[in-house]
Amino acid sequence: MPDSKTSAQKIASLARIELNDEESAKVQTEFDSILNYIHQLDQVEIPDGTEPFFGATESTNAVRRDIVVPSTDREIILQNAPDSDGEFYRVPPVF
Amino acid sequence: MSVLDNSIEQLVQQVSAGEVTASQCVDESISQLKAQNPTLNAFVSDCEEAARAEAAAMDAKIAAGENVGPLAGVPIAIKDGICTKGQRTTAGSKMLENFVPPYDATIVQRLRAAGAICIGKANLDEFAMGSSTENSFFGVTKNPWSADCVAGGSSGGSAAAVAAGISPASIGSDTGGSIRQPASFCGITGVKPTYGRVSRYGLIAFASSLDQIGPMARSAKDCAILMNVLSGHDAKDSTSARNDVPDFVADCDQNLKGLRIGICKQYFENEPDGSGLNENVRSGVMAAIEQLKELGAETVEIDLPHTRYAVPTYYVVAPCEASSNLSRFDGVRYTSREQAKDLIGMYSKTRKVNFGDEVIRRILLGTYSLSSGYDHELYKKASQVRRLIKNDYDAAFEKVDLIAGPTVPTTAFKIGEHAKDPLAMYLADVFTASANLAGVPGISLPCGFSADDGLPIGLQLQANMFGESTLFRAAHQYQTQTDWHLKRPQSS
Repeated sequence: MPDSKTSAQKIASLARIELNDEESAKVQTEFDSILNYIHQLDQVEIPDGTEPFFGATESTNAVRRDIVVPSTDREIILQNAPDSDGEFYRVPPVF
Repeated sequence: MSVLDNSIEQLVQQVSAGEVTASQCVDESISQLKAQNPTLNAFVSDCEEAARAEAAAMDAKIAAGENVGPLAGVPIAIKDGICTKGQRTTAGSKMLENFVPPYDATIVQRLRAAGAICIGKANLDEFAMGSSTENSFFGVTKNPWSADCVAGGSSGGSAAAVAAGISPASIGSDTGGSIRQPASFCGITGVKPTYGRVSRYGLIAFASSLDQIGPMARSAKDCAILMNVLSGHDAKDSTSARNDVPDFVADCDQNLKGLRIGICKQYFENEPDGSGLNENVRSGVMAAIEQLKELGAETVEIDLPHTRYAVPTYYVVAPCEASSNLSRFDGVRYTSREQAKDLIGMYSKTRKVNFGDEVIRRILLGTYSLSSGYDHELYKKASQVRRLIKNDYDAAFEKVDLIAGPTVPTTAFKIGEHAKDPLAMYLADVFTASANLAGVPGISLPCGFSADDGLPIGLQLQANMFGESTLFRAAHQYQTQTDWHLKRPQSS
Protein backbone atom coordinates (compact mmCIF):
# COMPACT_ATOMS: atom_id res chain seq x y z
CA MET A 1 0.00 0.00 0.00
CA PRO A 2 1.31 3.50 -0.73
CA ASP A 3 3.08 4.56 2.44
CA SER A 4 0.61 6.94 3.98
CA LYS A 5 -1.92 6.78 6.73
CA THR A 6 -4.47 8.47 4.52
CA SER A 7 -4.28 5.50 2.12
CA ALA A 8 -5.24 3.04 4.85
CA GLN A 9 -8.05 5.31 5.90
CA LYS A 10 -9.22 5.79 2.31
CA ILE A 11 -9.38 2.01 1.76
CA ALA A 12 -11.20 1.59 5.08
CA SER A 13 -13.63 4.29 4.07
CA LEU A 14 -14.33 2.50 0.75
CA ALA A 15 -14.92 -0.71 2.73
CA ARG A 16 -17.16 1.13 5.19
CA ILE A 17 -15.04 0.22 8.21
CA GLU A 18 -14.15 2.90 10.75
CA LEU A 19 -10.42 3.05 11.59
CA ASN A 20 -8.70 5.39 14.02
CA ASP A 21 -5.08 6.58 13.55
CA GLU A 22 -3.59 3.77 15.61
CA GLU A 23 -5.56 1.10 13.74
CA SER A 24 -4.59 2.62 10.40
CA ALA A 25 -0.92 2.43 11.30
CA LYS A 26 -1.30 -1.22 12.29
CA VAL A 27 -3.07 -2.04 9.03
CA GLN A 28 -0.32 -0.25 7.13
CA THR A 29 2.39 -2.37 8.79
CA GLU A 30 0.58 -5.67 8.22
CA PHE A 31 -0.20 -4.76 4.63
CA ASP A 32 3.44 -4.08 3.88
CA SER A 33 4.49 -7.65 4.65
CA ILE A 34 1.41 -9.26 3.08
CA LEU A 35 1.66 -7.21 -0.12
CA ASN A 36 5.37 -7.84 -0.33
CA TYR A 37 4.57 -11.55 -0.26
CA ILE A 38 1.67 -11.30 -2.73
CA HIS A 39 3.78 -9.38 -5.21
CA GLN A 40 5.74 -12.57 -5.88
CA LEU A 41 3.11 -12.82 -8.59
CA ASP A 42 5.07 -10.16 -10.48
CA GLN A 43 7.75 -12.80 -11.11
CA VAL A 44 5.34 -15.09 -12.97
CA GLU A 45 5.69 -15.00 -16.71
CA ILE A 46 2.22 -14.92 -18.19
CA PRO A 47 2.18 -16.32 -21.73
CA ASP A 48 0.44 -14.09 -24.29
CA GLY A 49 -3.23 -14.80 -24.59
CA THR A 50 -3.62 -16.28 -21.09
CA GLU A 51 -7.25 -15.72 -20.19
CA PRO A 52 -7.97 -14.98 -16.52
CA PHE A 53 -9.65 -17.87 -14.72
CA PHE A 54 -12.47 -16.76 -12.44
CA GLY A 55 -13.74 -20.13 -11.28
CA ALA A 56 -14.33 -23.74 -12.14
CA THR A 57 -17.78 -23.29 -13.63
CA GLU A 58 -16.85 -21.52 -16.82
CA SER A 59 -20.35 -21.96 -18.08
CA THR A 60 -22.98 -19.61 -19.35
CA ASN A 61 -25.41 -18.01 -16.96
CA ALA A 62 -27.76 -20.39 -15.17
CA VAL A 63 -31.18 -19.07 -16.16
CA ARG A 64 -34.66 -20.12 -15.15
CA ARG A 65 -38.11 -19.32 -16.39
CA ASP A 66 -39.30 -15.90 -15.26
CA ILE A 67 -42.18 -17.06 -13.12
CA VAL A 68 -43.15 -16.10 -9.60
CA VAL A 69 -42.60 -18.84 -7.04
CA PRO A 70 -43.21 -18.84 -3.29
CA SER A 71 -40.43 -17.36 -1.19
CA THR A 72 -39.79 -16.73 2.49
CA ASP A 73 -42.36 -14.44 4.11
CA ARG A 74 -41.22 -10.86 4.51
CA GLU A 75 -42.31 -10.98 8.15
CA ILE A 76 -40.00 -13.90 8.91
CA ILE A 77 -37.05 -12.25 7.16
CA LEU A 78 -37.62 -9.02 9.09
CA GLN A 79 -37.36 -10.90 12.40
CA ASN A 80 -33.55 -10.67 12.05
CA ALA A 81 -33.63 -6.91 11.41
CA PRO A 82 -32.21 -4.71 14.18
CA ASP A 83 -34.98 -2.19 13.44
CA SER A 84 -37.99 -2.32 11.16
CA ASP A 85 -41.27 -0.52 10.51
CA GLY A 86 -44.09 -2.59 9.12
CA GLU A 87 -42.70 -4.14 5.97
CA PHE A 88 -39.58 -1.94 5.82
CA TYR A 89 -36.12 -1.88 7.37
CA ARG A 90 -35.65 1.29 9.37
CA VAL A 91 -32.21 3.00 9.20
CA PRO A 92 -30.74 6.33 10.34
CA PRO A 93 -31.04 9.29 7.94
CA VAL A 94 -28.73 9.30 4.92
CA PHE A 95 -27.41 12.80 5.73
CA MET B 1 -18.05 -49.71 23.89
CA SER B 2 -20.09 -46.73 22.72
CA VAL B 3 -22.45 -47.01 19.74
CA LEU B 4 -20.59 -44.01 18.38
CA ASP B 5 -17.43 -46.12 18.05
CA ASN B 6 -19.06 -47.88 15.10
CA SER B 7 -18.61 -46.78 11.53
CA ILE B 8 -21.52 -44.88 9.97
CA GLU B 9 -22.29 -47.96 7.89
CA GLN B 10 -22.56 -50.14 11.03
CA LEU B 11 -24.50 -47.50 12.96
CA VAL B 12 -27.13 -47.12 10.22
CA GLN B 13 -27.50 -50.90 9.94
CA GLN B 14 -28.04 -51.20 13.70
CA VAL B 15 -30.55 -48.33 13.81
CA SER B 16 -32.48 -49.59 10.78
CA ALA B 17 -32.61 -53.10 12.25
CA GLY B 18 -33.84 -51.76 15.60
CA GLU B 19 -30.77 -53.08 17.47
CA VAL B 20 -29.96 -49.54 18.56
CA THR B 21 -32.38 -46.64 18.70
CA ALA B 22 -31.78 -43.22 17.16
CA SER B 23 -32.49 -41.81 20.62
CA GLN B 24 -29.61 -43.82 22.08
CA CYS B 25 -27.27 -42.46 19.41
CA VAL B 26 -28.37 -38.87 20.06
CA ASP B 27 -28.27 -39.26 23.86
CA GLU B 28 -24.74 -40.53 23.71
CA SER B 29 -23.63 -37.83 21.29
CA ILE B 30 -25.18 -35.03 23.35
CA SER B 31 -23.68 -36.38 26.57
CA GLN B 32 -20.22 -36.51 24.91
CA LEU B 33 -20.73 -32.95 23.67
CA LYS B 34 -21.60 -31.73 27.17
CA ALA B 35 -18.71 -33.61 28.76
CA GLN B 36 -16.03 -32.54 26.30
CA ASN B 37 -17.08 -29.12 25.02
CA PRO B 38 -16.01 -27.17 28.11
CA THR B 39 -12.45 -28.34 27.34
CA LEU B 40 -12.44 -28.50 23.54
CA ASN B 41 -14.81 -25.67 22.60
CA ALA B 42 -15.71 -27.53 19.41
CA PHE B 43 -19.31 -26.27 19.42
CA VAL B 44 -20.80 -22.80 19.41
CA SER B 45 -24.23 -24.21 20.31
CA ASP B 46 -25.98 -27.55 20.74
CA CYS B 47 -29.29 -28.63 19.23
CA GLU B 48 -30.26 -30.90 22.11
CA GLU B 49 -34.00 -30.31 22.14
CA ALA B 50 -34.51 -30.56 18.36
CA ALA B 51 -32.13 -33.54 18.11
CA ARG B 52 -34.00 -35.52 20.77
CA ALA B 53 -37.32 -34.76 19.09
CA GLU B 54 -36.01 -35.83 15.67
CA ALA B 55 -34.56 -39.04 17.15
CA ALA B 56 -37.86 -39.91 18.84
CA ALA B 57 -39.71 -39.32 15.56
CA MET B 58 -37.26 -41.57 13.75
CA ASP B 59 -37.63 -44.34 16.34
CA ALA B 60 -41.41 -44.15 15.88
CA LYS B 61 -40.97 -44.47 12.11
CA ILE B 62 -38.74 -47.51 12.51
CA ALA B 63 -41.18 -49.11 14.94
CA ALA B 64 -43.94 -48.57 12.38
CA GLY B 65 -41.83 -50.34 9.75
CA GLU B 66 -41.34 -47.24 7.65
CA ASN B 67 -38.34 -46.79 5.43
CA VAL B 68 -35.55 -44.70 6.92
CA GLY B 69 -32.73 -43.08 5.03
CA PRO B 70 -29.09 -43.96 4.43
CA LEU B 71 -28.01 -41.88 7.46
CA ALA B 72 -30.75 -43.07 9.85
CA GLY B 73 -29.94 -41.95 13.37
CA VAL B 74 -26.45 -40.64 12.61
CA PRO B 75 -25.56 -37.70 14.89
CA ILE B 76 -23.80 -34.99 12.92
CA ALA B 77 -22.08 -31.71 13.72
CA ILE B 78 -22.63 -28.90 11.23
CA LYS B 79 -20.21 -26.04 10.81
CA ASP B 80 -21.77 -22.86 12.14
CA GLY B 81 -21.29 -21.08 8.83
CA ILE B 82 -24.06 -23.21 7.31
CA CYS B 83 -27.66 -22.10 7.81
CA THR B 84 -29.96 -24.22 9.97
CA LYS B 85 -33.60 -23.15 10.15
CA GLY B 86 -34.57 -21.92 13.60
CA GLN B 87 -31.11 -22.70 15.01
CA ARG B 88 -28.70 -19.82 15.60
CA THR B 89 -26.00 -19.63 12.90
CA THR B 90 -23.13 -17.32 13.76
CA ALA B 91 -20.30 -17.89 11.26
CA GLY B 92 -18.09 -17.54 14.34
CA SER B 93 -18.74 -13.80 14.34
CA LYS B 94 -20.10 -11.22 16.75
CA MET B 95 -21.84 -9.82 13.67
CA LEU B 96 -24.17 -12.85 13.60
CA GLU B 97 -24.17 -13.63 17.31
CA ASN B 98 -27.99 -13.63 17.40
CA PHE B 99 -28.82 -14.53 13.78
CA VAL B 100 -31.46 -17.25 13.37
CA PRO B 101 -31.87 -18.33 9.72
CA PRO B 102 -35.40 -18.67 8.34
CA TYR B 103 -34.32 -21.58 6.10
CA ASP B 104 -32.10 -24.67 5.98
CA ALA B 105 -29.11 -24.86 3.65
CA THR B 106 -29.72 -27.39 0.86
CA ILE B 107 -27.21 -29.80 2.38
CA VAL B 108 -28.97 -29.58 5.74
CA GLN B 109 -32.27 -30.44 4.04
CA ARG B 110 -30.59 -33.39 2.33
CA LEU B 111 -28.98 -34.65 5.54
CA ARG B 112 -32.28 -34.42 7.42
CA ALA B 113 -34.12 -36.22 4.61
CA ALA B 114 -31.50 -38.99 4.79
CA GLY B 115 -32.08 -39.43 8.54
CA ALA B 116 -29.03 -37.62 9.96
CA ILE B 117 -29.62 -35.66 13.16
CA CYS B 118 -27.81 -32.37 13.80
CA ILE B 119 -26.54 -32.35 17.40
CA GLY B 120 -24.82 -28.98 17.31
CA LYS B 121 -23.21 -26.16 15.39
CA ALA B 122 -19.44 -26.47 15.19
CA ASN B 123 -16.98 -23.67 15.90
CA LEU B 124 -15.00 -22.06 13.08
CA ASP B 125 -12.73 -19.17 12.24
CA GLU B 126 -14.87 -16.09 11.77
CA PHE B 127 -16.54 -16.28 8.35
CA ALA B 128 -14.21 -19.25 7.68
CA MET B 129 -11.18 -16.95 7.48
CA GLY B 130 -8.31 -18.73 9.14
CA SER B 131 -6.37 -21.94 9.55
CA SER B 132 -6.60 -22.55 13.28
CA THR B 133 -10.09 -21.66 14.61
CA GLU B 134 -8.33 -19.04 16.74
CA ASN B 135 -10.25 -16.31 14.91
CA SER B 136 -13.65 -17.30 16.29
CA PHE B 137 -15.56 -14.75 18.35
CA PHE B 138 -16.53 -17.74 20.53
CA GLY B 139 -12.97 -18.70 21.45
CA VAL B 140 -10.38 -21.14 20.15
CA THR B 141 -11.14 -24.83 19.53
CA LYS B 142 -8.53 -27.13 21.07
CA ASN B 143 -7.05 -30.16 19.39
CA PRO B 144 -8.33 -33.40 21.02
CA TRP B 145 -4.83 -34.89 20.68
CA SER B 146 -3.17 -32.05 22.57
CA ALA B 147 -5.04 -29.30 24.40
CA ASP B 148 -2.30 -26.72 23.86
CA CYS B 149 -2.48 -27.13 20.08
CA VAL B 150 -4.96 -25.82 17.53
CA ALA B 151 -7.48 -28.10 15.83
CA GLY B 152 -6.76 -26.37 12.52
CA GLY B 153 -9.24 -24.37 10.57
CA SER B 154 -11.40 -22.98 9.53
CA SER B 155 -13.52 -26.12 10.17
CA GLY B 156 -11.71 -26.80 13.46
CA GLY B 157 -14.85 -27.49 15.47
CA SER B 158 -16.11 -29.98 12.88
CA ALA B 159 -12.77 -31.82 12.91
CA ALA B 160 -12.44 -31.84 16.71
CA ALA B 161 -16.01 -33.15 17.13
CA VAL B 162 -15.23 -36.25 15.07
CA ALA B 163 -11.72 -36.78 16.47
CA ALA B 164 -13.04 -36.59 20.05
CA GLY B 165 -15.82 -39.09 19.33
CA ILE B 166 -18.61 -36.56 19.96
CA SER B 167 -20.20 -37.31 16.60
CA PRO B 168 -19.26 -39.88 13.95
CA ALA B 169 -19.68 -37.29 11.20
CA SER B 170 -19.48 -33.58 10.63
CA ILE B 171 -19.83 -31.06 7.83
CA GLY B 172 -17.22 -28.43 7.04
CA SER B 173 -16.48 -25.99 4.27
CA ASP B 174 -13.21 -25.60 2.40
CA THR B 175 -12.11 -22.35 0.70
CA GLY B 176 -8.33 -22.86 0.75
CA GLY B 177 -7.98 -26.06 2.80
CA SER B 178 -10.47 -25.51 5.61
CA ILE B 179 -11.70 -29.11 5.63
CA ARG B 180 -8.48 -30.93 4.70
CA GLN B 181 -6.12 -29.01 7.01
CA PRO B 182 -8.10 -29.52 10.26
CA ALA B 183 -8.75 -33.14 9.22
CA SER B 184 -4.97 -33.56 9.00
CA PHE B 185 -4.33 -31.84 12.36
CA CYS B 186 -7.02 -33.91 14.12
CA GLY B 187 -6.25 -37.30 12.55
CA ILE B 188 -9.54 -37.77 10.68
CA THR B 189 -10.66 -37.99 7.04
CA GLY B 190 -12.02 -34.90 5.27
CA VAL B 191 -13.14 -34.28 1.71
CA LYS B 192 -13.19 -31.10 -0.34
CA PRO B 193 -15.41 -32.05 -3.30
CA THR B 194 -15.14 -30.74 -6.85
CA TYR B 195 -16.40 -27.17 -7.13
CA GLY B 196 -20.11 -27.43 -7.93
CA ARG B 197 -20.54 -31.04 -6.78
CA VAL B 198 -22.24 -30.01 -3.51
CA SER B 199 -24.72 -27.14 -3.29
CA ARG B 200 -23.51 -23.96 -1.57
CA TYR B 201 -27.06 -22.65 -1.00
CA GLY B 202 -27.22 -21.67 2.66
CA LEU B 203 -23.45 -21.54 3.18
CA ILE B 204 -22.54 -18.07 4.46
CA ALA B 205 -20.26 -17.00 1.63
CA PHE B 206 -16.58 -16.19 2.06
CA ALA B 207 -15.13 -16.53 -1.47
CA SER B 208 -17.80 -17.80 -3.83
CA SER B 209 -15.54 -19.18 -6.58
CA LEU B 210 -13.54 -21.21 -4.01
CA ASP B 211 -15.98 -22.22 -1.25
CA GLN B 212 -17.09 -25.84 -1.17
CA ILE B 213 -19.00 -27.78 1.49
CA GLY B 214 -17.80 -31.30 2.28
CA PRO B 215 -17.93 -34.21 4.74
CA MET B 216 -15.61 -35.10 7.62
CA ALA B 217 -15.60 -38.48 9.36
CA ARG B 218 -13.20 -41.09 10.68
CA SER B 219 -12.91 -43.04 7.44
CA ALA B 220 -13.08 -42.53 3.69
CA LYS B 221 -16.00 -44.95 3.44
CA ASP B 222 -17.97 -42.92 5.99
CA CYS B 223 -17.22 -39.79 3.95
CA ALA B 224 -18.39 -41.62 0.80
CA ILE B 225 -21.73 -42.44 2.46
CA LEU B 226 -22.12 -38.75 3.34
CA MET B 227 -21.10 -37.64 -0.16
CA ASN B 228 -23.82 -39.83 -1.70
CA VAL B 229 -26.32 -37.74 0.28
CA LEU B 230 -24.73 -34.31 -0.14
CA SER B 231 -24.00 -34.41 -3.88
CA GLY B 232 -26.14 -33.44 -6.82
CA HIS B 233 -27.57 -30.52 -8.71
CA ASP B 234 -29.46 -27.81 -6.83
CA ALA B 235 -31.49 -25.21 -8.72
CA LYS B 236 -30.94 -22.76 -5.84
CA ASP B 237 -27.18 -22.60 -6.54
CA SER B 238 -26.34 -21.20 -9.97
CA THR B 239 -22.85 -22.78 -9.82
CA SER B 240 -24.20 -26.23 -8.96
CA ALA B 241 -23.02 -28.91 -11.40
CA ARG B 242 -25.44 -31.06 -13.36
CA ASN B 243 -23.05 -34.02 -13.55
CA ASP B 244 -24.38 -37.44 -12.61
CA VAL B 245 -23.50 -38.57 -9.10
CA PRO B 246 -21.92 -42.03 -8.98
CA ASP B 247 -22.31 -44.37 -6.00
CA PHE B 248 -19.20 -43.34 -4.10
CA VAL B 249 -19.57 -46.21 -1.64
CA ALA B 250 -19.47 -48.78 -4.43
CA ASP B 251 -16.33 -47.10 -5.80
CA CYS B 252 -14.53 -47.78 -2.52
CA ASP B 253 -14.28 -51.50 -3.27
CA GLN B 254 -12.26 -51.23 -6.46
CA ASN B 255 -8.61 -52.33 -6.11
CA LEU B 256 -5.68 -50.10 -7.02
CA LYS B 257 -4.20 -52.20 -9.80
CA GLY B 258 -3.10 -49.88 -12.58
CA LEU B 259 -3.88 -46.67 -10.69
CA ARG B 260 -1.34 -43.97 -11.62
CA ILE B 261 -0.39 -41.68 -8.75
CA GLY B 262 1.45 -38.45 -9.48
CA ILE B 263 4.21 -37.36 -7.14
CA CYS B 264 4.74 -33.63 -7.44
CA LYS B 265 8.36 -32.75 -6.81
CA GLN B 266 7.44 -29.20 -5.75
CA TYR B 267 5.56 -30.61 -2.73
CA PHE B 268 8.71 -32.16 -1.33
CA GLU B 269 11.17 -29.35 -1.98
CA ASN B 270 12.14 -26.95 0.79
CA GLU B 271 12.36 -23.21 0.31
CA PRO B 272 15.85 -21.66 0.13
CA ASP B 273 15.38 -20.35 3.69
CA GLY B 274 14.91 -23.91 4.96
CA SER B 275 11.18 -23.53 5.55
CA GLY B 276 8.79 -26.00 4.05
CA LEU B 277 7.95 -29.59 4.69
CA ASN B 278 8.60 -30.92 8.19
CA GLU B 279 10.79 -34.06 8.07
CA ASN B 280 8.37 -36.20 10.10
CA VAL B 281 5.50 -35.22 7.82
CA ARG B 282 7.64 -36.01 4.78
CA SER B 283 8.52 -39.51 6.00
CA GLY B 284 4.92 -40.26 7.05
CA VAL B 285 3.60 -39.24 3.64
CA MET B 286 6.33 -41.11 1.75
CA ALA B 287 5.55 -44.27 3.74
CA ALA B 288 1.85 -43.91 2.83
CA ILE B 289 2.74 -43.55 -0.85
CA GLU B 290 4.83 -46.75 -0.60
CA GLN B 291 1.80 -48.50 0.84
CA LEU B 292 -0.35 -47.35 -2.05
CA LYS B 293 2.27 -48.85 -4.38
CA GLU B 294 2.12 -52.15 -2.50
CA LEU B 295 -1.63 -52.12 -3.13
CA GLY B 296 -1.04 -52.04 -6.89
CA ALA B 297 -0.71 -48.36 -7.73
CA GLU B 298 2.23 -47.03 -9.71
CA THR B 299 3.86 -43.65 -9.16
CA VAL B 300 4.77 -41.11 -11.82
CA GLU B 301 6.77 -37.95 -11.18
CA ILE B 302 4.81 -34.88 -12.22
CA ASP B 303 5.48 -31.19 -12.38
CA LEU B 304 3.12 -28.52 -11.03
CA PRO B 305 5.40 -25.54 -11.65
CA HIS B 306 3.01 -22.88 -10.37
CA THR B 307 2.39 -24.57 -7.01
CA ARG B 308 4.50 -22.01 -5.18
CA TYR B 309 2.23 -19.22 -6.39
CA ALA B 310 -0.97 -20.81 -5.05
CA VAL B 311 -0.92 -19.02 -1.70
CA PRO B 312 -0.19 -15.51 -3.04
CA THR B 313 -2.85 -16.07 -5.74
CA TYR B 314 -5.31 -17.26 -3.13
CA TYR B 315 -4.63 -14.23 -0.93
CA VAL B 316 -5.59 -11.94 -3.77
CA VAL B 317 -8.63 -13.82 -5.07
CA ALA B 318 -10.19 -14.81 -1.72
CA PRO B 319 -10.05 -11.35 -0.08
CA CYS B 320 -11.40 -9.71 -3.26
CA GLU B 321 -14.41 -12.01 -3.24
CA ALA B 322 -14.76 -11.66 0.54
CA SER B 323 -14.80 -7.87 0.38
CA SER B 324 -17.80 -8.14 -1.92
CA ASN B 325 -19.60 -10.97 -0.08
CA LEU B 326 -19.25 -9.39 3.35
CA SER B 327 -20.61 -6.03 2.21
CA ARG B 328 -24.08 -7.36 3.13
CA PHE B 329 -23.17 -7.14 6.82
CA ASP B 330 -23.94 -3.48 7.27
CA GLY B 331 -26.22 -3.20 10.28
CA VAL B 332 -29.42 -3.18 8.24
CA ARG B 333 -30.51 -6.82 8.05
CA TYR B 334 -28.57 -9.24 10.24
CA THR B 335 -29.30 -8.53 13.93
CA SER B 336 -26.20 -6.47 14.82
CA ARG B 337 -26.20 -2.69 14.63
CA GLU B 338 -24.20 0.12 16.21
CA GLN B 339 -25.99 3.44 16.58
CA ALA B 340 -24.78 6.46 14.61
CA LYS B 341 -26.27 9.74 13.49
CA ASP B 342 -26.27 8.89 9.78
CA LEU B 343 -26.40 5.85 7.50
CA ILE B 344 -22.73 5.70 6.49
CA GLY B 345 -21.70 6.13 10.12
CA MET B 346 -23.93 3.21 11.07
CA TYR B 347 -22.38 0.99 8.37
CA SER B 348 -18.81 1.87 9.36
CA LYS B 349 -19.27 1.58 13.10
CA THR B 350 -21.27 -1.67 12.87
CA ARG B 351 -18.56 -3.28 10.73
CA LYS B 352 -15.70 -2.06 12.91
CA VAL B 353 -17.27 -3.24 16.17
CA ASN B 354 -18.65 -6.58 14.99
CA PHE B 355 -15.90 -7.91 12.68
CA GLY B 356 -12.71 -9.40 14.12
CA ASP B 357 -9.17 -8.39 13.11
CA GLU B 358 -8.62 -11.08 10.46
CA VAL B 359 -11.93 -10.40 8.74
CA ILE B 360 -11.20 -6.65 8.66
CA ARG B 361 -7.69 -7.38 7.36
CA ARG B 362 -9.05 -9.44 4.47
CA ILE B 363 -11.88 -7.05 3.60
CA LEU B 364 -9.35 -4.19 3.41
CA LEU B 365 -6.92 -6.31 1.37
CA GLY B 366 -9.71 -7.15 -1.07
CA THR B 367 -10.93 -3.57 -1.26
CA TYR B 368 -7.37 -2.39 -1.91
CA SER B 369 -6.82 -4.97 -4.67
CA LEU B 370 -10.02 -3.98 -6.45
CA SER B 371 -9.81 -0.21 -6.07
CA SER B 372 -9.04 2.05 -8.95
CA GLY B 373 -5.85 3.98 -8.25
CA TYR B 374 -4.39 1.31 -5.99
CA ASP B 375 -3.55 -2.22 -7.06
CA HIS B 376 -6.51 -3.15 -9.26
CA GLU B 377 -4.22 -4.88 -11.78
CA LEU B 378 -3.41 -7.38 -9.02
CA TYR B 379 -6.74 -9.19 -9.35
CA LYS B 380 -6.32 -9.64 -13.09
CA LYS B 381 -2.78 -10.89 -12.63
CA ALA B 382 -3.84 -13.33 -9.90
CA SER B 383 -6.66 -14.61 -12.10
CA GLN B 384 -4.19 -15.25 -14.92
CA VAL B 385 -1.86 -17.13 -12.55
CA ARG B 386 -4.94 -19.05 -11.40
CA ARG B 387 -5.37 -20.13 -15.04
CA LEU B 388 -1.76 -21.36 -15.10
CA ILE B 389 -2.38 -23.36 -11.91
CA LYS B 390 -5.45 -24.91 -13.54
CA ASN B 391 -3.43 -25.68 -16.69
CA ASP B 392 -0.79 -27.44 -14.52
CA TYR B 393 -3.50 -29.74 -13.16
CA ASP B 394 -4.95 -30.38 -16.62
CA ALA B 395 -1.52 -31.41 -17.92
CA ALA B 396 -0.84 -33.59 -14.85
CA PHE B 397 -4.16 -35.43 -15.11
CA GLU B 398 -3.36 -36.43 -18.68
CA LYS B 399 -0.59 -38.58 -17.16
CA VAL B 400 -1.99 -39.63 -13.77
CA ASP B 401 -5.27 -40.47 -12.02
CA LEU B 402 -4.38 -38.97 -8.63
CA ILE B 403 -1.82 -36.67 -7.07
CA ALA B 404 -0.45 -37.62 -3.64
CA GLY B 405 1.38 -35.44 -1.15
CA PRO B 406 1.19 -33.90 2.30
CA THR B 407 -1.96 -32.03 3.33
CA VAL B 408 -0.10 -29.52 5.53
CA PRO B 409 3.67 -28.93 5.89
CA THR B 410 3.55 -29.49 9.66
CA THR B 411 1.51 -31.14 12.41
CA ALA B 412 -0.83 -29.00 14.53
CA PHE B 413 0.88 -25.90 15.85
CA LYS B 414 0.59 -24.44 19.33
CA ILE B 415 -2.27 -22.09 20.17
CA GLY B 416 -0.97 -18.53 19.76
CA GLU B 417 2.13 -19.60 17.82
CA HIS B 418 1.21 -17.56 14.72
CA ALA B 419 -0.90 -14.93 16.48
CA LYS B 420 1.49 -12.06 15.68
CA ASP B 421 2.25 -13.10 12.12
CA PRO B 422 -0.74 -13.53 9.78
CA LEU B 423 1.58 -14.45 6.91
CA ALA B 424 2.98 -17.48 8.75
CA MET B 425 -0.59 -18.69 9.27
CA TYR B 426 -1.40 -18.21 5.57
CA LEU B 427 1.42 -20.61 4.63
CA ALA B 428 -0.45 -23.49 6.31
CA ASP B 429 -2.53 -23.59 3.09
CA VAL B 430 0.44 -24.08 0.76
CA PHE B 431 -0.55 -27.63 -0.33
CA THR B 432 -4.31 -27.19 -0.23
CA ALA B 433 -5.14 -23.82 -1.83
CA SER B 434 -4.36 -24.95 -5.40
CA ALA B 435 -7.26 -27.41 -5.44
CA ASN B 436 -9.73 -24.61 -4.61
CA LEU B 437 -8.23 -22.30 -7.22
CA ALA B 438 -8.56 -25.00 -9.91
CA GLY B 439 -11.80 -26.51 -8.60
CA VAL B 440 -10.49 -30.08 -8.30
CA PRO B 441 -11.43 -32.41 -5.41
CA GLY B 442 -9.11 -33.45 -2.59
CA ILE B 443 -9.15 -35.68 0.46
CA SER B 444 -6.99 -35.73 3.57
CA LEU B 445 -6.59 -38.98 5.44
CA PRO B 446 -4.53 -39.88 8.51
CA CYS B 447 -1.25 -41.62 7.65
CA GLY B 448 0.74 -41.66 10.89
CA PHE B 449 1.95 -39.67 13.85
CA SER B 450 4.98 -37.43 14.16
CA ALA B 451 7.90 -38.87 16.12
CA ASP B 452 8.53 -35.37 17.50
CA ASP B 453 5.20 -34.39 19.01
CA GLY B 454 3.01 -37.49 18.61
CA LEU B 455 0.46 -35.54 16.57
CA PRO B 456 -1.38 -36.82 13.47
CA ILE B 457 -0.02 -36.47 9.94
CA GLY B 458 -2.28 -36.16 6.89
CA LEU B 459 -1.88 -37.59 3.40
CA GLN B 460 -3.59 -35.53 0.70
CA LEU B 461 -4.90 -37.07 -2.51
CA GLN B 462 -6.22 -34.88 -5.32
CA ALA B 463 -8.14 -35.97 -8.42
CA ASN B 464 -9.35 -34.42 -11.64
CA MET B 465 -12.67 -32.57 -11.80
CA PHE B 466 -15.52 -34.82 -10.64
CA GLY B 467 -12.98 -37.56 -9.84
CA GLU B 468 -14.16 -38.19 -6.26
CA SER B 469 -14.68 -41.87 -7.11
CA THR B 470 -10.93 -42.26 -7.61
CA LEU B 471 -10.23 -40.45 -4.33
CA PHE B 472 -12.56 -42.77 -2.41
CA ARG B 473 -11.18 -45.85 -4.15
CA ALA B 474 -7.57 -45.07 -3.16
CA ALA B 475 -8.37 -43.74 0.32
CA HIS B 476 -10.59 -46.66 1.29
CA GLN B 477 -8.14 -49.27 -0.04
CA TYR B 478 -5.37 -47.59 1.98
CA GLN B 479 -7.58 -47.68 5.08
CA THR B 480 -8.28 -51.39 4.63
CA GLN B 481 -4.53 -51.94 5.16
CA THR B 482 -3.85 -49.34 7.87
CA ASP B 483 -5.45 -48.34 11.14
CA TRP B 484 -4.35 -44.72 11.52
CA HIS B 485 -7.98 -43.59 11.04
CA LEU B 486 -9.08 -45.81 13.95
CA LYS B 487 -6.68 -44.30 16.50
CA ARG B 488 -8.30 -42.13 19.15
CA PRO B 489 -6.96 -39.40 21.39
CA GLN B 490 -6.98 -40.35 25.06
CA SER B 491 -9.51 -37.64 25.89
CA SER B 492 -12.28 -39.28 23.84
